[in-house]
This record gives sequence, structure tokens and C-alpha cells, in this order.
Amino acid sequence: MTTTHPFEAEAERNGELNAVGTSAVRIDGIDKISGAAQFVDDLDFGPGLLHGAVVESPHAYARIVSIDTSKAEDAPGVVKVVTGQDFPYNFGMYMGDRYIFAQGHVRFVGEQVAGVIARTHRQAVQAAKLVEVEYEVLEALLDPKEAVADGAPLIHPDLGEYSHVPWFFPKAGTNIAHWRKIRKGDTERAFAEADYVLADTYRVPRYAHCAIEPHVTVGKLDHAGRLTVWTASQSPHTQRHLFAEALAPLGFSHKDVRVITPYVGGGFGGKAGVTMEVIGAAMATAVKGHPVKLRFTREQEFYNTYQRQGVVAELKVGVMNDGTITAVEHTLYWDAGAYVEYGANVVNAAGLSATGPYRVPNIRNDSLCVYTNLPPGGPYRGFGYSEFHFGLESHLDRVAAAIGMDPVDFRRKNAIVEGDELSYGAHMNPSGLLPAIDETASAIDWGVEEQSDDPNTVIGKGIALFWKAPAMPPNASSASFLKFNEDGSVNVSVSGMELGQGYLTVMAQIAAEVLGLPVEKVRVETPDTDRNPYEWQTVASHVTWSSGLAVERAAVEAREKIFDVIHQVYGYEDDTLYLADEQVKCTTDPDFAKPLRDFVIDGIQTEDGTWRGGPIVASGKFMPEFTNANSDPETGQGGHPNVHYTVGACGMVIEIDTHTGRIFVRKAALAVDAGKAINPDLVRGQITGGLVQGLATVLYEDMRFDEDGRLLNPNFTDYKIPTAFDIPDEMIPIIIEVPQPDGPFGARGVGEHTMIGAAPAIANAVFDALGVRITSMPITQEKVAQAVSASPT
Amino acid sequence: MQVTITVNGESWDLDVAPADVLLDVLREQIGVKSPKIGCERGDCGSCTVLLDRRTVRSCLVLAVEVEGHEVTTVEGIGADRLSDLQELFITLNSFQCGFCAPGIVLSATELLDENPNPDRHDVQEALSGNLCRCTGYEPIIDAVLAVGQRSGEVTP
Amino acid sequence: MVIPHDFEYVRPNTLEEATRALADCSGSAQVLAGGTDLVAWLRDDAVHPDLVVDIKAIDGLRDLAVADRTMTVGSLVTFTDLMESSVVAEHAPLLSEAAETVASPGIRNRATVVGNICSAVPSCDAGPVLLAYDAHVHLVGPEGFRSVPIEAWFVGLRQTARREDEIVTHLTMELPTHGGCYVKLMRYGGEDLAQAAVAIVVDDAHDYRIAFGAVAPTPVRAHAVEDAIRGRAPTEDVIAEAVAMVRSEISPINDLRATAEYRAHMCEVMLARGLVAADQRRNGDGPEYRTRLI
Repeated sequence: MTTTHPFEAEAERNGELNAVGTSAVRIDGIDKISGAAQFVDDLDFGPGLLHGAVVESPHAYARIVSIDTSKAEDAPGVVKVVTGQDFPYNFGMYMGDRYIFAQGHVRFVGEQVAGVIARTHRQAVQAAKLVEVEYEVLEALLDPKEAVADGAPLIHPDLGEYSHVPWFFPKAGTNIAHWRKIRKGDTERAFAEADYVLADTYRVPRYAHCAIEPHVTVGKLDHAGRLTVWTASQSPHTQRHLFAEALAPLGFSHKDVRVITPYVGGGFGGKAGVTMEVIGAAMATAVKGHPVKLRFTREQEFYNTYQRQGVVAELKVGVMNDGTITAVEHTLYWDAGAYVEYGANVVNAAGLSATGPYRVPNIRNDSLCVYTNLPPGGPYRGFGYSEFHFGLESHLDRVAAAIGMDPVDFRRKNAIVEGDELSYGAHMNPSGLLPAIDETASAIDWGVEEQSDDPNTVIGKGIALFWKAPAMPPNASSASFLKFNEDGSVNVSVSGMELGQGYLTVMAQIAAEVLGLPVEKVRVETPDTDRNPYEWQTVASHVTWSSGLAVERAAVEAREKIFDVIHQVYGYEDDTLYLADEQVKCTTDPDFAKPLRDFVIDGIQTEDGTWRGGPIVASGKFMPEFTNANSDPETGQGGHPNVHYTVGACGMVIEIDTHTGRIFVRKAALAVDAGKAINPDLVRGQITGGLVQGLATVLYEDMRFDEDGRLLNPNFTDYKIPTAFDIPDEMIPIIIEVPQPDGPFGARGVGEHTMIGAAPAIANAVFDALGVRITSMPITQEKVAQAVSASPT
Repeated sequence: MQVTITVNGESWDLDVAPADVLLDVLREQIGVKSPKIGCERGDCGSCTVLLDRRTVRSCLVLAVEVEGHEVTTVEGIGADRLSDLQELFITLNSFQCGFCAPGIVLSATELLDENPNPDRHDVQEALSGNLCRCTGYEPIIDAVLAVGQRSGEVTP
Repeated sequence: MVIPHDFEYVRPNTLEEATRALADCSGSAQVLAGGTDLVAWLRDDAVHPDLVVDIKAIDGLRDLAVADRTMTVGSLVTFTDLMESSVVAEHAPLLSEAAETVASPGIRNRATVVGNICSAVPSCDAGPVLLAYDAHVHLVGPEGFRSVPIEAWFVGLRQTARREDEIVTHLTMELPTHGGCYVKLMRYGGEDLAQAAVAIVVDDAHDYRIAFGAVAPTPVRAHAVEDAIRGRAPTEDVIAEAVAMVRSEISPINDLRATAEYRAHMCEVMLARGLVAADQRRNGDGPEYRTRLI
């Protein structure tokens, strides 16, 4: 491996890029548009396939008194009924607080209590209704502020005994599963000395990912004792690890557990980690020799997979009259749900970064992960940042207004730039925040007041900045294998997931760039943990960066092997060789051009008739080696938990019907600093998709629970996700490129960031239009109409 | 019950229960997998198929109702050669995860059959029952409009 | 999730066979037309019939025509049929205006207008329009044919005047020369059930027929409002008078789709805008039919 960074070497050698930076056509395009693409539910498993159905808790918190499975076992077609007694194991990604089936207690409505396996799906569903469970109902906690109050009942009395990662700080004897603290400078003094201080509370409800493909899994324990699980997942290796760990008492080694993940019909964080897949995997172990399919209904999708956590955010900001932010106190009470094995890391990530993309000398952040008797929270595009930016960016508009400053000027003044100190003491990476602000402001004609022609409507503009770092274990890593084929084409194996973002295409572009190939000559497929090298997960907007580096390194290694063969046979020095047009060429001999297909498998015959070389195969890996999560629990200082931040800005022009309250988004602009857009069209796709998903959270989506903790809208009839009518009249995607020094060709991730800015930008535009500040999401037409009729004007 | 259904031009004699919905029969008995199971209550549109050239939610149609009728899925649309619409979906990045794409192609195909040069509102209306969580719809609308413009060029 | 319960299925070719099948069924039976409600309910286990009678093979249930100002809508006429019919556009434009707000094309291609009023959910889009058009519902049963005025049709939440052994054959409505509108409150631009809706018909004598949807257990006709403004053009004063009466005509509820207060407020807004648009349309101007007024 070279010591010079490959990106620099690349730029030096080629001067220009051929594959990277082009809007290459998606390599999965034909599969997906012809109907050929296979998702888990599309795979065939033959006549032995059995079907699972889950028996669910009707109570938010209850003790299980008894479970009688006898009637279900006698029902037609039933092969097996399993309960928590069959799998008395706990597990979890960052904290071991979860169970495969409920153990003694149920902690949310919809929690899996038993599983029925039958010959047909209909038989499984029918039999599941016959399982009789007796409960002793307990007092449920549905609100995080109530759950942290003194004397609140404990949802996990054993919290102190759960295993967890070292950067979590659970408070045994309370419902606080993790408390991320940041203490920097002296906020009390800063507030006392500030010219203006504003404090308020913002509320963000729970949200659902709503990937159109529901979770589905097929597990098979074959007669040789190997467990294969096909899953609709963002995380094949992490799932394999968690299956192996959770089922370890059954004697599995990681090598005997295999996870295969074909195309995934959308993830957005909802298919990260493990949710229902562990139920399917466990059920399969109960019926050796038979594949078992478990497919969640849309309703289950809503109430028994991860949800985006709700949050109550108490925010206090101090500024000087010149607009300098001097202090931020941000206390976030997260409604983390019944199990927080993944969601607690959302809380952690938010706590580290809850100042937003600003230079703030005095900080006090408290991010509390609070157990409630609602479904488990977890990752969702934006990973905590979407949630806290709503309050933060709303608040900063108010602060700017109070000191008479333009909100854009105010943000420009405080925007974080390279080298500024972060809340935990490390320093900010290169960032294009200032150009992002300027280009966004310009795209929405910031400062130009617009009047509506319609007497019923008013126009408003709003802007919000955003930032986000990948939230990962400090040593989360990626790996890649690469092999040449006889015709000079290449197969690249990785274990990141194609969720739709275009990951496979981007990996192909990176390999093609290094190897001087057209993108069409590179095949990258979805993973199988037996065959493909390790990837932590496809989350955190990190795979373009991390897996991209692994692919780049594999390609560089392959290139070195190619040059080595050429050097052996023809004597050219490696540093005079380069790859272009599917050939090896030489800077000192313009006549030399050796087609790759001539030798990448068979090698090159020398003058004495013997051969050199052989199949060109290579591997690459990447793990950040500058991060650590060892910070002081009381101050958060001392570690370097985040690899880098991606920043950007979002601007909205809206028109509000003051009678109906309906908001029409006339224009939505979003600038994000991609470092280097490996595929600009795919980046723009992330921007339009993220904008619309973010707009939905602020305009109409939210999860509604009744007083017993039952989800009232577990369907698209009443959980409204956008249709083709529910998009802005105009969307303006803006790509900023300030290179990430350690990124592949300077790239960093943008996938999640594109949905963060929409909510606060709308809140700010509503204020601009109506003079009314709405501090809770969503800002529905009904809420706007109420606010208009309540406002004095 | 015995039913005869034509799917993508091929006739199938099938034994189905009255409670079997068309979607499940297409996927499990015929092996046509492009209509997807997304919500099973008619909300998401990923199970869209053409029934006698008009879109229906195959999750809301009993297989027994389809006796003697003709079903077309995306496998039947692009079997020999991708349609212009499908080509444009690829070049304009009109899908990401691809799960909703078959249903959207069929809804757009129905629209273009009836109205070869639709405007933006027509396209939005035609696609309003097909949920896509990835793209923000803009590139989908662009692709359908682009097909209309192409057809407009051929027959002004 | 599959449909969990098995049932028998028949597809009779005549009304007589169909009504006999319903009458002979010892358990419960359901009539199947478009199936967009019924199949969803079967799948949700909300209904568990022993028998499903598919009426789509019966001749004569697809009429969609006008004769002597009377429009006939057969029980197999879909919302798409309404939208694509030039007869409807000319003589009963509220039907197509309402049809376009029903779900989305893939549903409208199957769902029938008669099925919509047989399901009789409070938010059914056909309800207010048929009330404003003073429609009659025609049924056939073991005792022969009968007809029910639409105002007597909706008897409660999801309850109609149809007896279990009856089949609706068609609707009729006598149509004056009129303008009108169907205005529907939805949570966003895409498909949604009505949170509140109003249908307004106004003729050349400024005789109004006004009906609300989704703000009571059944769609309701607002006779008091009609009587109060009869004969008067919708000036600002007339509109204010009408709007002031709205809340006594409806009984909206709080649910997860909207609060009672917002529903009532929006009925006022929709009535105000709808009266203006309906009268403009009567004059041949104003926003085109199928243009959203809110």
C-alpha cells in the first residue's frame, strides 16, 4: 500500500478524472426497471418453505402470567409454536437490553410474545390468534419527562446489569439508559454576560421510516447445522454478528451463520441493526431443515421495527449584540422506547453535536436516553440531528430577530469553519458551510420580499443550516475484494448495501477510475457474508467515504500488481506506468500499450516461453485510525468520537393559505458539501429525496399513540407520506465541493443530511409569513390555521 | 376453484381459494414477482398491475374475480425491449431502491396510453397512488413528461 | 397478511340468481363489486362472510346515461367511468369532481360509486354529492324492486337502508341546469379520506342544495342553510349568513385526522369559497371543475 494518499496520487497521475465525478448511469438500473431485481420476498425456497406469524402484546407494560400454546399447536398446518422460554437470551447492538421473544414482561404494545410456524401463511396467522396469554397489566410510562421523574416505575429494573459499549453511561435504578454530557467553558457566566438570552422548549414526535418494502426475513437451519438468513437489511455483517451472539447458546460460530442480503426496498435507518430478523432467525432454529419466512405487515412495520425517537428539547442560547453566540445549553429528553440497544447511540450522537454547525465557546449539552413503554426507538435518516435541528435552527432565528440581525448574516457570523474547536475538544474538518449558506440564500432570493397575488395567501422564506457526523463505533470498518476477469472486466465485492442511494454505482466508479476502466466493466453486487468481506453497516452516510476508501485501496493494490507484472516482463518502472482505456501505458514510451484483457488472468509469456503474473486479485480495507470514544463521562472532553462532519444549508419559499392553514412549498433549495460528488446525479437524487422526506416530517407525518400506548395510525391511510402531489413546485439541489482530505477522491457522505434542514426551514418560513412561531412538529395545516386564528393580528 | 387467467400474454389454469388475492397468486403460483407486497390495503401502489389495460391494486382483487381477464406486469411491458419510459427511468434516475418502480411504470404506462402528452398535473394525478419514499418524485415526473415530449415530437 | 378466513364465492349472471344466492345463504353474505373496500376489510378480518356474491357478471348494471334530465348510474359504474364520461361532465359535473378526489387511479378503476355509498363511511365522497343531487337508490331483493331517496339511505355509521338480501342496481338523479362544487378537506395534496367535505348545487333561481361529509356519522344535507339563502346570489352578506349557520348543521368529532374545531372551521371556509365557485360555474365562469378550491 502506498504511503501517499491514493487520492493525491490519482490526481497527480491523471490530472483529470474519467469515471469519478461523472453522472454514470446506475449499474442496477436495468435490474430494477425490468422487474428482474430480486428482493428477499421474491426469492423462491421450494415446497418446504414454512411461514411464521407473531403473537403480540396488547399492553404497553405487563407481566406475563402464563402462555398457553396448546390450541395453536393443534391447529391445522402448525409445525411449531415458540415462546420466550425457547430463547431465554438477551442481546443488543450497543446495549444488551433486548430479547428475541418477551421474557416475563412485555414493554410495548405489539411486542412479540410467541411465534407460530405453519405450512401456509394463512394457517400461521389463524393459529397465532389461538395462543392464549394471560397478563398482569402494569402502569405504563409514555412520556420521557414522566419517566425521568422521581419515583417513576422502572421499565428495566435490571438496567445496571446490562452489557453496553464503554461510551454509554446508564443510570441504574432510573429509566435513564444513557446520559451524554458535554461541558465546555462556563455557560453560567456566559449567560450572565450575554447581551441577550433566550430559552424555550421544542417538541418533536416519533416518526416512521416507511420504506415501501416491509421487513422480511427467511431463515434456514440446515441439517448440517448451518444457519442461513436472507434479510432485507442495511447491515448483513452486523446482523450475522448479532444472530451469532444472540443464539450463541445454541452453539453457533460466526462462520456457521450466513446472511444474504439481496436488493433492499429502502432503508432510511429502519433496516439497520436488527429488528424482526432475529425473530425469523430464531424461529428457523426451531424447525431444522425447513426455511421459515417471516414478513411483517405494514402495521407491524410501524409498531414493531425501529421508530425515530421523539424528543423534548430545552434550549437556551446566549448572544452578544454583535451577533456572536457565546453559550448554548441544550437538554434533550429522548423518548427512546422499550429497548434502546440501538437508539441510545442516536441519543449519544445528538448530545455530541447539539450546538449545530456553529462556533460556540461555552456549551452544556445533556442528552438523556429515557426508557418509555412505546416501541423501540432507533436509527432514522439524520440519526438525532434531524430532531434537534428543528428546535435549534428555529431558536437561532428568534435570537437573530431579537438582536435585530438578519438570520442569514447571523448564521454566517457564527458558522463553524475548518479548525474551530468542537464541543468535545477536537477540531472541525474542512467544510463548505459558508458557500452553502450563500448559494442557498441566493437560490431563494433571500432578502427579496415577495407578495402573493392571491388575497388568501401570504409568502414566507426560511433558512436553516445543518451538520451531521457519521455516528459509529470509533473503529467501524469497511473492506473490499476485487478480481479481474478474462476480458478485463472486474468484479468488486463489498458488503455495503444498495439501498437505492446508488452505492453499487459509486463503488464501480471508484474502481473504474483507479483502474482506467469504463464503469460498465465493473460489476458490484449485493452481499453474502460468506463471500463478501466485512462492512460494519450501511448507515451513518459513511459508505461512500469508508467503503469507497476500501474499494479505492483494493483497486490501487490491483494496479500495483498489474504494474509489477509489466515491470517483470518489460522492465518499465512502476512510476512510469499508468492505466487508461483498459490498457497499461507508459509515460516514457508512448508506443507501449498492453491491453488488460491480454494478461489479467493468464499472465504474460516471456521470451523464454514461461509466464509471469496470473489472476489479478486484490483487497482493501479501511478503518479510521484517528478516532476514539474515551471521553470523560461528566464533560465529554478528551475523545475524538466523530470522523468528520458534512455541512449544508436549506432554504424554503412557502405560500400559506391563511384560512385553511395549508402550506404550499413553492421553492426548496438545499446545498450540501459532498467534498467531491463521485456521481453528481446521485447526489442530486439524495437531495430531492431527502428534502421531500424532511418536508413530510414537518408538514404532516407523525406517529400518534393513545393513552394506552397503542399506535393509532399504523398504516398509510393515516400516516401520510408524500405522494407525487406533495412535493415543492421547484427543488434546487446545490452541490458544494470542499474536499475531505481523507475521503476517496475527496468525497464525504450526504445521504442523511439532505433531510435535516427542511423542518426548521419551514418553521422559520412560517414565522416569516405569519409572525407566528410554532415550536412543535409537525406544523400541520390545522396547527397553522389555529395559530392564525389565535394570533392578535 | 379453477380459474383461467392470462398473464403477460400466457394463459394459466390455476386452482385458487376464493380468499386468495391476485397479488399472492401472481407471486406464488405464477412466479411473477414484480408486483410487490407493500401495504396490502391499497394504499401504496407497489402491487399495481394492469387488468385489461387499466391499473388495479392486485392486493385488493380476488384471484377468482380475474377469471377470463388479462393481467400485465412490468415483466410483460419490457419483455422484448425496454419501453421508452423504462429507458428514461434509468437515464433520469427515476428510482432508487426500485421497489415501487414496477408499479410506477405501470401507472405511467396507463396514463401514456390514454394521454400521450400529459402535463405535470396529469402525471402527478396518475402517480398519486404510487408511494415512493426515495426519490422525491421529481425525477419520476420528469421521465414521464419526457416520454410525452418525445411522442409529441413524433406526432406533432 | 393474507385474508385469514375462507369463504364461498359465486358470480351469478342475473340479478335473480344473485338475490337468490343472498337469500339462500344461511350465514352472512357480502356483495362484491369493485372490492376496494370489501377486500381490505376481509384482509383486516373486519368482516367474515360465509359467502361473497360478485355482481360483475350481471348485465345491465353499467348504465351511465342521461334521459329527460334524469341521470342513471349503474351499480358497476366506477369512479374512473365518472371521470371519463362526457355525459357526466356535462350534466353532473360534481360527480366527476368528487370522483377525482377518491383515492387514486388504481382504486378508481375498480371502486364503484354505489359501493362507496354502500360502505357508507362518514367520509364517503359520493355521499355529499348524491345528497346535493337528490339521488334515489334503486334496489332489488326477494320482494322485488324498490327505491330509497338518498336522504333516507344513510341511517348511521356504516349503516344504510339496504337489507342484507338486497342488491343496489342503480342510482337516478333529476338534474337541473346548475353550477356546483365538491370541496374536500384533506391532510395534504395526495390521496386522503375527507376530513370534511361540502357539495353545493345551485340552479338559475339560486335554489341551493348543500350537503356536508365527514362531519357527522353520515353525510348530511344542510336544509336550514339552503332555506336561509334560497333565491339570493352569494354576496358577501349571504355567505356570512350561511357560514354563521354551519356549526348548527354538523356534528364533527375529534379524531386523529382532525379536531372537531378545525373540521367546523373548514366547513365554514369551504362553504364560503364553494358558494362563490358554484355560482360562478353556473354562469359558465369561475374555476374549472376539478380545480381544487382549497
